[in-house]
Amino acid sequence: MIDELPEPTPDLDSQPFWDGLALGELRLQRCRACGALRWPARAICNRCASFDAEWVDCDGAGVVSSWIRTHQVFAPAYRDRVPYVVVRVELVAQGDIRLIGGWHANRDPVVGESVAPRFVRRASGAFVLDWEPDLAPNTARRLRS
Amino acid sequence: MVVAQSLGIRDLRFHLDQFGGGSVSHAMVGQVALALHAGVADTIVCYRALNARSGFRMGGTGRPLVDAVETQFQAPYGYFTPPQQFAMEARAHMARYGTKSEHFGQIAVAQREFARDNERAMMRGPMTLDDYLAARFVVEPFRLFDCCLETDGAVALVLTRTERARDLRQVPVLIRGAAWGGGQNLYSNQVSDTTRTAAADMAPRLYSMAGVGPSDFDLAELYDCFTYSVLVQLEDYGFCAKGEGGPFVASGATARGGSIPVNTHGGFLSEGYVHGLNHVAEAVSQLRRTAGARQVPDAELALSTAQPGYVAGSTAALVLRRGA
Repeated sequence: MIDELPEPTPDLDSQPFWDGLALGELRLQRCRACGALRWPARAICNRCASFDAEWVDCDGAGVVSSWIRTHQVFAPAYRDRVPYVVVRVELVAQGDIRLIGGWHANRDPVVGESVAPRFVRRASGAFVLDWEPDLAPNTARRLRS
Repeated sequence: MVVAQSLGIRDLRFHLDQFGGGSVSHAMVGQVALALHAGVADTIVCYRALNARSGFRMGGTGRPLVDAVETQFQAPYGYFTPPQQFAMEARAHMARYGTKSEHFGQIAVAQREFARDNERAMMRGPMTLDDYLAARFVVEPFRLFDCCLETDGAVALVLTRTERARDLRQVPVLIRGAAWGGGQNLYSNQVSDTTRTAAADMAPRLYSMAGVGPSDFDLAELYDCFTYSVLVQLEDYGFCAKGEGGPFVASGATARGGSIPVNTHGGFLSEGYVHGLNHVAEAVSQLRRTAGARQVPDAELALSTAQPGYVAGSTAALVLRRGA
């Protein structure tokens, strides 16, 4: 049973991603051979089979592709937290990268709306990636190498 | 192996342990068919047994069923159970195609109507669309009756070669097509449209093997861990166009007396959850025409499917025909 709020559990591949959140960066892996972004990180590119990859800092511009509100208490840690909203966000940088995260706004999300990342430090000290409405969705988007 | 040991079988000629839930049951039957065709064995029992109510509850512990690579990117956000995963998929379909809660409700109500004539069903009481809509939310947009049951149950199928089956007392049911496929999920960065499942890619291959098309089926037993999975499969197996699943179920096509009755035993929503082997067993009953009051008249050809490819990324399905 989960009595405590589940915390991130980085592994060898994902450590740079979780480390980046603490610095306010959304880090993605990019294939050096074909340029495809991939998340979560892994050893090989599933488009061109290259092992050669680098980490890039994505601005995190995203679009809500779906959202849910959980009412049922699936674990004791959530007894006082239900109901809560979780969103699924497609990144503008590459739409087949989708991230799950919490939601920060005093209204429900809308499928298709622009969102920006929100880096949240928990009481435990761990950082997680949540989302909020993007108030300036048309600003230039880029990847930083 | 435990079954073989319990039966005292000393020289087991074929065994196969399939890990996972509802995306593998139909693949297991297909793999058994391969073994029979290859002459590896003459008769094979294919079973699934689980204490999903009294034992490990998939959605009840907050613990992921599988420690997959993506778990670490979901659990910290309180996202770790199948109702959450499928509610997320359902919402995306609603937003894109205008699918409504009432459409999901039609699926639940139609299946309950069949379950009322199924003595094995856990849920046999009457249910109206109002009952469905009045039930509490589990994970929005899903209400209580969008979600399958948790069941202590077991199903065993006995498979043998066609010529041997024709000598037996029961009317044989023939496997005319078996396919499995998919592989990509939301964490492989290969899925561009989440409202289209791996079943859409696999279905043409399955139909080609069997020499049939969607309009040939007399009934379909579609994997229904949640109402939405039925709806998306109606589209992806070609019973209606993409995005038209809602109006299709609202037309009554999948209900008793409709053009393609779906989940004639009540499915996971009303009979019980046995990872889809109970769907195969129901198809066999229908094709043998031993399904009693819920019998689809003159049933000749049935489709039975596994989970269409969400979460794990894999799927499978069978085309079954009443033997001569």
